[in-house]
Amino acid sequence: MNSTAPNPSPKAPPPPEGDTLYAVRQKVYVRAVTGLFANWRWALVWFTQIVFYGLPWLQWNDRQAVLFHLTERKFYIFGWVFWPQDVFFLAILLIISAYALFFFTAIAGRLWCGYACPQTVYTEIFMWIEEKIEGDRNKRMKLDKAPMSPRKLGIKAAKYGAWGAVALWTGFTFVGYFSPMSELLASVATLGFGPWEMFWILFYGAFTYLFAGVMREQVCKYMCPYARFQAVMFDPDTLVITYDEGRGEPRGARRKGVDSATAGKGDCVDCGICVQVCPTGIDIRNGLQYECIGCAACIDACDQVMDKVGYPRGLIRYSTENAIKRGWGTKEIIGHVFRPRTLVYGTVLIAICVAFVWGLATRDPLRVDIIRDRASLGREVAGGMIENVYRLQVMNMTEVPRNFVFDVKGINGIQIAGDHRVAVEAAATQAVTLQVLVPYDAGKPGANEIVFEIHPEDDPSLKLFEKTTFLFPR
Amino acid sequence: MQKLIQVLWPSFLVAAVVEAVFFTVIDPQALYLLGEPVHYDPLTTYSIGFLAFWLICAASSLTTLYFQRTADEINHPEAH
Repeated sequence: MNSTAPNPSPKAPPPPEGDTLYAVRQKVYVRAVTGLFANWRWALVWFTQIVFYGLPWLQWNDRQAVLFHLTERKFYIFGWVFWPQDVFFLAILLIISAYALFFFTAIAGRLWCGYACPQTVYTEIFMWIEEKIEGDRNKRMKLDKAPMSPRKLGIKAAKYGAWGAVALWTGFTFVGYFSPMSELLASVATLGFGPWEMFWILFYGAFTYLFAGVMREQVCKYMCPYARFQAVMFDPDTLVITYDEGRGEPRGARRKGVDSATAGKGDCVDCGICVQVCPTGIDIRNGLQYECIGCAACIDACDQVMDKVGYPRGLIRYSTENAIKRGWGTKEIIGHVFRPRTLVYGTVLIAICVAFVWGLATRDPLRVDIIRDRASLGREVAGGMIENVYRLQVMNMTEVPRNFVFDVKGINGIQIAGDHRVAVEAAATQAVTLQVLVPYDAGKPGANEIVFEIHPEDDPSLKLFEKTTFLFPR
Repeated sequence: MQKLIQVLWPSFLVAAVVEAVFFTVIDPQALYLLGEPVHYDPLTTYSIGFLAFWLICAASSLTTLYFQRTADEINHPEAH
């Protein structure tokens, strides 16, 4: 990046080898920042967390609106009930997520990381708590250097306590997606959770605490797979957070009110605030680095400094490699959003989305599995008939109880003995045993193909056909 | 610390994927444990399943780490 600038920017010192990589980690004291992109980040913190904390409390059809009910092996999502047989939809959803990630990364870099990733969002929340309790960056650094005192102990205890409370609530909410919230809530007062529910609340809570409170940028730097392969989705037209080296260098401090040309310097006043606000502790002026999560905190910080010294904003800004190299403006950058890579990603994404919606809309609200009763093969019964017995699993995927009617075809004179109907509860499975009778001379010895026809009593137009075989004794 | 993460973290990610795939395909109530049908409640089976997958994957990561040592590290362990 930024290869046009005459003097290369100072390189970061090479990372220490091997085991020391984690040990020598300098704690990053992130300076709080305000501005346009900070507002966006906070908007997404609110949005994602209202959804995450709120969704398990929502009711729908007299049940939890979103519940991945592991015990019942059914996923409830508003009006839908998904069964293990619907794993196809989950697979499609994952493909959509992957393509969406490719698409947005190709256009504007790590949007996901900077604004929506839970790691970013919880770190943001935990840092806000830290700032409220311990004070701003300088106060925090001073506090950490100070010897232990009752005051320090109190402040630290308050911070860890508040973090712990958020973490526990997060763990509780997480488990509420898999175990009904109403049952969990009833257990809160007595802490009478099931052992594994308790385990997972503490497990998820502990990891929230560890990742957002303690490890923070290290998760992105060392543990995130996406950070490692993001580069394959980038190209010279990808919007990334860029320091305009041509404009900024040579950087340096200067007297207030002096313009850059007079001072013989670039626009960068080398205040270092872009480094202080960076949650991963890098210097964006060294060019694009894999540690950069694209949060744009340095843009907000630099813009404020530029305002203060009276230079135009945008010394650090969203730009592309080509734009910096060729001096493009916004119009050219937008013009290059549509390029083969994004068009391919976009087309595939739309196609899969359409397929997903279409599949969901035309999903059969009824499913039947047929198992021939192996214990009694073709058997002669009274009246010169051959009898075969079938076990049918009827799945009612709707949320109303329904009656289903059976019919069978394929051989002359074929009929079902006894009741042709079965009642199935809402979103439930019902096993039915059907005796099917055929005149002894209507088929050939061995297997004969037959078809079961099943339809709901209240909707004859919805017909399901299931093939199976009818056995004649040899 | 770094080695601990190298063993526990990738195995955690893979175990999560395996858990989802395995239990989507297989009903925990249809499993047999030492010849007897599993009588735990599903949440227990899921949880034990996940921890077992994690453990197995961690063993694999640990083995990778073990074989990754260079000749120098094996010949001169005191220097490392």
